[in-house]
Amino acid sequence: MGKYTLIITEKPDAAKRIATALDSEGKTQKKVESGVPYYEAYRNGKIIVVPALGHLYTVASKDKTSRDYPVFDYQWVPRYLAERGASKIRLWLKVISHLSENAEAFIDACDFDIEGSIIGYCILKYACGNKQESAKRMKYSTLKKEELQESYAKMLPHLDFALVEAGLTRHEVDWLYGINLSRALTTAVKNSSGQYTTISTGRVQGPTLKFLEDREKTIKSFVPTPYWTITAKISINDMEFEVDYEKVLESKPEAVAVLQACKTNEGKIDAIGVKEFNQNPPFPFDLGALQSEAYRIFHYTPMRTSSIAQHLYLNALISYPRTSSQKLPPAIGYQTILKKLAKTVAYAKHAAQLLSKPSLKPNEGNKIDPAHPAIYPTGSFPEKSLASTERNILDLIIRRFMAVFGDSAVRQAIVVTLNINENKFNLNLMRTLSEGWLQFYKPYVEVKDDALPPLTEGQIVAVKRVVMKDNFTKPPARYNPRSLLLKMEKEEIGTKATRAGIIQTLYDRKYVSGESALYVSDLGFEVIEILDKYCPTVISPRMTQKLDQEMNQIQEGTQTKPAVMQSAIEILKPVLSELKEKQFAVGSQLSVGSQKGRLEERTIGSCKKCADGKLVILRSRTSGKRFVGCTNYFHGKCSETFPLPQSGTIKTLKVSCKTCGSPVVYVLMGRRKPWKLCLNPTCLSKGAKKL
Amino acid sequence: MNCKICSRVAIENGFCSLHSMAYDNVLEKFSVWKRAQNVSWCEYLVEIQKNSLTGEWAKDVSKYLIVEGKENVK
Repeated sequence: MGKYTLIITEKPDAAKRIATALDSEGKTQKKVESGVPYYEAYRNGKIIVVPALGHLYTVASKDKTSRDYPVFDYQWVPRYLAERGASKIRLWLKVISHLSENAEAFIDACDFDIEGSIIGYCILKYACGNKQESAKRMKYSTLKKEELQESYAKMLPHLDFALVEAGLTRHEVDWLYGINLSRALTTAVKNSSGQYTTISTGRVQGPTLKFLEDREKTIKSFVPTPYWTITAKISINDMEFEVDYEKVLESKPEAVAVLQACKTNEGKIDAIGVKEFNQNPPFPFDLGALQSEAYRIFHYTPMRTSSIAQHLYLNALISYPRTSSQKLPPAIGYQTILKKLAKTVAYAKHAAQLLSKPSLKPNEGNKIDPAHPAIYPTGSFPEKSLASTERNILDLIIRRFMAVFGDSAVRQAIVVTLNINENKFNLNLMRTLSEGWLQFYKPYVEVKDDALPPLTEGQIVAVKRVVMKDNFTKPPARYNPRSLLLKMEKEEIGTKATRAGIIQTLYDRKYVSGESALYVSDLGFEVIEILDKYCPTVISPRMTQKLDQEMNQIQEGTQTKPAVMQSAIEILKPVLSELKEKQFAVGSQLSVGSQKGRLEERTIGSCKKCADGKLVILRSRTSGKRFVGCTNYFHGKCSETFPLPQSGTIKTLKVSCKTCGSPVVYVLMGRRKPWKLCLNPTCLSKGAKKL
Repeated sequence: MNCKICSRVAIENGFCSLHSMAYDNVLEKFSVWKRAQNVSWCEYLVEIQKNSLTGEWAKDVSKYLIVEGKENVK
């Protein structure tokens, strides 16, 4: 094999696209060595494009045998040495090393962000034999052919070392926090109860769980208070409206007095207030905003949206999604993208409308990302059909892109003040005078437009009915994946690339449950309570923010890696000493929470037969078979049981069957589609299915 | 000493940190209910006990206070 240039990409799909885009002869060849694909292309000489599989290296302890803590000696190692199930990486690295032997030049073409920069840096340093200093860097935001060719022609003369340093620091600091705190908690439980249970926390995970715990505490100790509202149904020119008394009433006698005073058939319009206002277009999507909007509209979790967007990017349908930018520079080619979109029936009308504007100017937000613009569609459409989830996200990104170029919507707020026996009521109406950007963002935006009869001050209106309603104050809503993500963004903890993963870890560790509302488990409460009691620093958002800011400063060149590492270790050392000293108290409290957590996980719901027992998943001592039984069986008070499938995983849903009221569980079995199962074998819903 | 309601360690008024927070809320909100509906302490406890918006720990506390109140009367 003659000499060539070796290009390293982050994922196999990107390798194929880069090789195809750069090949000047149109003869890209796919080769496979030991199951690892790579591509050969020609452009002023031979090029080999080899992909990584995301991170191939990770941080690990130098001492592999000890499970003790504190651990401050670490190194970067291939993932297969540190993680189970990563054996494929060994072969991958062997092939990359082999290909690097005959390479005369190296190019890092991984995604241009912190993660991509570390992936490329580690491969060049460890697998290619210290080629990180001589390697060049390709920088691009979409996998479009033209952009990749331009990126190759104008590549950076060296890696972005500031970005690499910031990334290495982030990984190392997070590893130090994660490994030490998790080992401290896990060891405490093991020494106290003799049982091994992984109890983890981390630099960002702890403060995030703290947000949830604070909210859960407020909800669980909430006491509602009563208040009353009064509404009147009125008729104007045969159109009926509901009008609200000017304020809420906190005393029942006062509310009754207003109600009595309003018993009349007529009211009078005292005043009509009209206010016109402009509603500006939204900002272009950064990753957080896309995740938030996808949850609001489609109920996709942030993690799912992130993975769908990544797939769309690898298919060159959208720009790089892991961005925090709200800017769309003209260099992306607004007109070209809109012209491409105009070729599709679904977007033709709106794209043509925008193209007919004398100039195109996006409504940009303040957030910037030095590496990438905001998320935008490339205007290309898929060669193969997309999954419905991918179609949804792509459509959302396209419509948002068009909306940001729209004019402001002009809306009118009308407040009609009514006098019913000297009591003031308000009628609030809204009209749209000019749709502007709203038309481009439909169906993802709802426009309230009220029908309005002719109104004049002094006009008499008919009062049909006046009603007093009892109300109670409500507790704050539980966080959902969207609102938690927004909270993390607002508090500036974590990064755009890691936030969704951290929320997923909270589920995986069984600290939280629930899809549309996040409930903190007993184990979650115990973990936070212990950290709050013995080491409040590690769950303080302020500490996490400070470290995040310092890491950003490394990227800007105003801070150094050794100084930040030192500062992180100085925070950690006293915390770990305290945890070690109090490990028995910590362990016993966590063991109780862990046991409660395990019971909670097996609990199906309340027993309807005995009313005070709980239905839990049990295993027969004689046959070893699993079934659902009542906890009161052990006290000789209830013998309720239900059979369960003997294979597959059972997940508790804590809901009842709509037909018979028996508990329902979720069954996951191999590759079969998971299904909901009513525990009652004689439930009529099952009979109906058989028929 | 353990909490009067659960098995956690009591910190204040015989309640654990979680039930103590709920107890403070139960006490604080009584004045609002009294002003709004002129209810007695016992009526108030019964009302919040059956209200679906009352938090789990606040319900534990109101249930405990109702039972304790009845025992004191006996």
